[in-house]
Amino acid sequence: MKKYLIIPLALFAAILFLNFNTTGKVQTYTSVTSPGLTIPDDVQKIIDNHCYDCHNANSESEKGKKKLDFDKLLKLKKSKQAGKLSKIADVVKEDEMPPAKIIEKYPEMALSAEQKTTITKWAEDAANSLFN
Amino acid sequence: MKAKTLLWIIIIIFVVIQFIPSGRPEVVKDNPQDLLANNAVPEDVAGMLKTSCYDCHSNEPVYPWYAYVAPVSWLVSRDVREGKKELNFSEWEGLKKIKKAEYLDSMSEEIDDEDMPMPIYFLMHRDAKLTPEQRGRLIGWTEDFADSLFE
Repeated sequence: MKKYLIIPLALFAAILFLNFNTTGKVQTYTSVTSPGLTIPDDVQKIIDNHCYDCHNANSESEKGKKKLDFDKLLKLKKSKQAGKLSKIADVVKEDEMPPAKIIEKYPEMALSAEQKTTITKWAEDAANSLFN
Repeated sequence: MKAKTLLWIIIIIFVVIQFIPSGRPEVVKDNPQDLLANNAVPEDVAGMLKTSCYDCHSNEPVYPWYAYVAPVSWLVSRDVREGKKELNFSEWEGLKKIKKAEYLDSMSEEIDDEDMPMPIYFLMHRDAKLTPEQRGRLIGWTEDFADSLFE
């Protein structure tokens, strides 16, 4: 009888090691070429409100879409992800993004000092962690 | 004003502006942190980088004669200064891996968009213009080289 229990128990144990995303908010992407880049909620919120309008797959801004598409970021290979993340940290730190023209028109698009720190710290840490 | 007088004025201005420093970055030949000196870059790619990029993005620009004659020297000097500030291949090894990945990604974008090399550079450097095949080869290399950072 015990023999028959071993297989279901082993399956149950194996399931425990699978990483299920139950929150539906934290996005993770895992594959051979991309062992995992996570966008925490606070970062995701900033991206959604300040970056995503131009940096998405259906963006009207061809340049914005080409340079960085958040819909694709998690699917890029590690080397590209690292490059994009480092660039994100750079442009936010240097106040190049969001663009001054956009902020002039929509002042609410400007990032606060705290938001800038959140984004740059996440981007740099995430980029560095890809190399570990 | 007589044409002769005007000519003299132009000549005098031309001579005087030669004494205004152009801020031309000096050529440094010994670069222990150089990209090509420290990495096994394929010969054809190294050749393209040298011909199409290194004049503005390294400590080893090959200055043509007009780089010493104002006012053109001012433009050349500015381009080299700005180019080196953006990316200096002579200091490559000193960069963090994430910066290397960033530069390689930016390179592939700018080469693909034909933003680099700058079209003005082709006026006197026709061999620096990259063919579509060369652009493809260079972009492919930036991706392979970026991947190798993870090995």
